[in-house]
Amino acid sequence: MNEWTSYRLQDFIPFTAEVYFRLLERIGETFWPLHLLTLALGAAALLLALKHRTRLACLLPAPLWAFVAVAFFFQRYAELNWAGGYVGNAFIAQAVLLALVALTGWGLDKASRATNLPVAIGIAITLFGLIIMPLIAPLSGGSWYQAEVFGIHADPTAVTTLGLVLIMLRGFALWLAAIIPALWLVVSGLTLQVLDSSGAVVLLAVLAIVLVGLVWKSIEFKR
Amino acid sequence: MNHLIKHRITRRQSLTLIGATLAAMMLPTAPLLANTGGIRQKTFAGTDKTLPVIGMGTWRTFNVGNDPQLLDARTEVVKAFFEHGGGLIDSSPMYGSAPDVMGYALQQLGTPESLFSAEKVWSPAGGSAREQVAELKSRWKVEHFDLVQVHNLTDWREHLAALQEMKAEGIIRHVGITTSHGRRHSEIEQIMTSEDIDFVQLTYNITHREAENRLLPLAEERNIGVIANRPYDGGSLIKNLKRRDAPLPEWAKEECGCTTWADFLLKFIVSHPAITCAIPATTQVEHMRENMRAGYAPMPSPDARKRMAAYIESL
Repeated sequence: MNEWTSYRLQDFIPFTAEVYFRLLERIGETFWPLHLLTLALGAAALLLALKHRTRLACLLPAPLWAFVAVAFFFQRYAELNWAGGYVGNAFIAQAVLLALVALTGWGLDKASRATNLPVAIGIAITLFGLIIMPLIAPLSGGSWYQAEVFGIHADPTAVTTLGLVLIMLRGFALWLAAIIPALWLVVSGLTLQVLDSSGAVVLLAVLAIVLVGLVWKSIEFKR
Repeated sequence: MNHLIKHRITRRQSLTLIGATLAAMMLPTAPLLANTGGIRQKTFAGTDKTLPVIGMGTWRTFNVGNDPQLLDARTEVVKAFFEHGGGLIDSSPMYGSAPDVMGYALQQLGTPESLFSAEKVWSPAGGSAREQVAELKSRWKVEHFDLVQVHNLTDWREHLAALQEMKAEGIIRHVGITTSHGRRHSEIEQIMTSEDIDFVQLTYNITHREAENRLLPLAEERNIGVIANRPYDGGSLIKNLKRRDAPLPEWAKEECGCTTWADFLLKFIVSHPAITCAIPATTQVEHMRENMRAGYAPMPSPDARKRMAAYIESL
């Protein structure tokens, strides 16, 4: 038997759905009401990006990526999955990248218009990450502590950031800043699929829409 | 005293009683003991020690981190395991927090004498085999491990040599190797032939019986204990049977006392003469009880085993 073909997706997910969703809920319980601050920072980043104050808009999510790396991945998720530390490092790298882009101004799109399709996609994705994603769990019958929030939980942090980079960045910087959030959405989407959660479809659909925006904006940038 | 007089035994009743007692004494005792003496035990690795035929796995099910609610829930599962005479519990540094969760459960429940602690060394966990065993002991909060296995053959030469040394020094009691999903059977066979190991852990269930061809006969020949992992094929086997509402055949109840699919699937595994024990994993106390009941007599005969396999294939 070929060793690699014998592996299935579930062989790489070492926890059950009960444990994973309890983890997300416990994060919510532990850090409440920090959610209000992180959501405010996300909303501020969106407004600043639309007003072409892109450096500051790019800087605001950076500490939140570092926070999620430590509070979610290093301190909690790594207990469940030995690969969690590596993902935490990737989130730290994303925080550093966003800070560097903000400080240097490299790759910033200072002329983005809301009527431009990739930017419109970016706005929609950002709003989805900031507003809709936290409502999914409570509207599905869960408690408010199960709400996944930008800057507290990994999925909405990645989704919102993808929306923001679609608005704020262009060229190579746009793709570079999208790699880690997009890869996390793949990992998280596949995890949720193994756990039989409909959230998998949501994340993978968001990713597909983001990819359309990324390709569209790159084509426009080359013209 | 009237009631004593009323129930005085007559001469005829006395003779009947003596006759019945003598007849009972002449009956063969072994089958009776097997039916009433608790969970089945098997000797292993050429020793006179025994293990209950149903053990417990911890992959996915015991990886709950430091969640107090889930830690207590898993402790109840371990409690049910030991209440039914459970012995072998298998874990790995690859299973996230499962070794810590075992430590928590054993601290809450005390460490029962029947515990047969089985761990693994695994290269990606970092550190030498000695360092990993020392760390795992502190996570389980035990003095020693009864068995340490090389997980999925990672760097098996180096790890096995270190484990053999630790066995000679009395730090661990038995050594073994593991695989799953039918992977690397030829290498497993080579190690079973050339190395002095006490246990091999492999996937064996009613739909994955590749091990019957070479590995199980070899284990019998070499007196190597066999731990069967994935008895429910990662849960999919029993879930599919229940989802399809497949009928449990009446003859399985008559021949080997199967009243649940857990009975059917586990009895099939542990009735193979080469298998020492199966290690189903669960998060539910009720499922643990179901699993443990499968370890009680009667067990299927070789003919019944063939019939069981054919029945599953026919579904």
